[in-house]
Amino acid sequence: MEIDGRAFEVDDTGYLTDPSIWSDDVAGLIARHDGIPVLTEPHWAIVRCIRRHWEEKGTAPLVRSICQTTGIKLKELYELFPLGPSKGACRVAGLPKPDGCV
Amino acid sequence: MKMIYLDNAATSFPKPDVVYDFMHDFYRENGVSPGRSGFDASLKAEELVMETRKLLTELFHPGGNPNRLTFSYNASDSLNMIIQGLAEKGDHVVYTRLEHNSVLRPLHHLHADGVIEVTQVGFDARGYVSPAEIEGAIRANTKMVVVNHCSNVLGTIQPVEEIGRICKKAGVFFVVDTTQSAGVIPIDMSSMGVDVVVFTGHKCLLGPTGIGGSYVGEGVPVRPTRFGGTGVRSAQEAHIEEYPYRLECGTLNMVGVAGLNAGIKWLINEGIDVIHDREMRLWDRLRKGIQQFENVVTYCADGVEHHSPVLSFNIRNFEAADVGTLLDVDYNIACRTGLQCAPGVHALLGTDKVHGTVRLSIGPFNTDDHIEQAIRAVGEIAGMRK
Repeated sequence: MEIDGRAFEVDDTGYLTDPSIWSDDVAGLIARHDGIPVLTEPHWAIVRCIRRHWEEKGTAPLVRSICQTTGIKLKELYELFPLGPSKGACRVAGLPKPDGCV
Repeated sequence: MKMIYLDNAATSFPKPDVVYDFMHDFYRENGVSPGRSGFDASLKAEELVMETRKLLTELFHPGGNPNRLTFSYNASDSLNMIIQGLAEKGDHVVYTRLEHNSVLRPLHHLHADGVIEVTQVGFDARGYVSPAEIEGAIRANTKMVVVNHCSNVLGTIQPVEEIGRICKKAGVFFVVDTTQSAGVIPIDMSSMGVDVVVFTGHKCLLGPTGIGGSYVGEGVPVRPTRFGGTGVRSAQEAHIEEYPYRLECGTLNMVGVAGLNAGIKWLINEGIDVIHDREMRLWDRLRKGIQQFENVVTYCADGVEHHSPVLSFNIRNFEAADVGTLLDVDYNIACRTGLQCAPGVHALLGTDKVHGTVRLSIGPFNTDDHIEQAIRAVGEIAGMRK
């Protein structure tokens, strides 16, 4: 996948194959690719929540737990990430394809 | 926020208090091997098993032989035993697109192994199988017709009486999967021409998970496909041929039998028709409530007649799983999404392309308030992407 001249190796569903290359810049690029022009504070709250959980536990968090931790309702999450918690937020957070938690 | 449970078609929840209480009390006092020994607890356990066989026999085949009512883990387990125990090399089996994987997969494996031939019959735009189409599918080598009495995706109740007449005329065995109907929709094997009824305990019969079974009519040659301890004639090498031992081996799930016993008694006491009518009134309100949203699509839900309280729908521009997650996380409404283990239904509806449907299913403990909250939640989700 190429975004703004930068190439990323992704799996067949668009998730990064190497989550370690993730950075804030990469998050912004994936978001732009998904039609989110700018990551706002609520976007970052969700991304950092997912990223932190993944770095600590090696898994994606439960959707309910993302909402509880950030105080953002799932409905609002879908407005922020129209592709939803898995295909949207987790991809922007640089996670590999979740096994089913999200 | 307390969970609103609308996944009763998967497992009814909660159970009546008497079910929890009786399982606990009976298992504490008499949770031993039934009929294997002569001490009091064993005899009481055996009495409970026989009483439960009788209760279920009266439900499916009034005046029938309770020994032909056998227990298993669930409907999938019994369907495996019935299908594999009836089918022989060269047989043909007719089944419908409404079947659950508990029928589809046993048939698939027998077909893939070259044992049987199969013909699948579709359903119409309202979700009903045509008896004439089933009649047309029957061949000289047809051994059995297998029909899901009530679709677990659509809730439509199939015309088993007409299909039963056709099967009797053609001399083929008629197997009915009553997983979604036993306990809410009357079934009478004699008047409906049904040869085998398969049921599970954990749905409308209000028992726990892990208990189900079948009633096999006289003259239906189901071979045992599993063998083992029966507690009788232990010196005999071969498995016991008589019912109920023929289709049972190993110690029964006694806590399951106890819960099923209490669930059936609760149903009878409350009135099966009363419960069904109340559930259908709630279903009708739910159906009409969500059908008012322009981007909600319901499937085969145009009236309460020949229907059970199961409602499948989608919201345009949403995948079913996303709607289910929103209902769960933002509204604490438990439902089922996806293909509901019945891929044939979705292939015909075209809902396989959006990964299935959202299914809401009502049980005896749902209230008007639950339904109003569900309608409001679906409306708010639908309003997100008009």
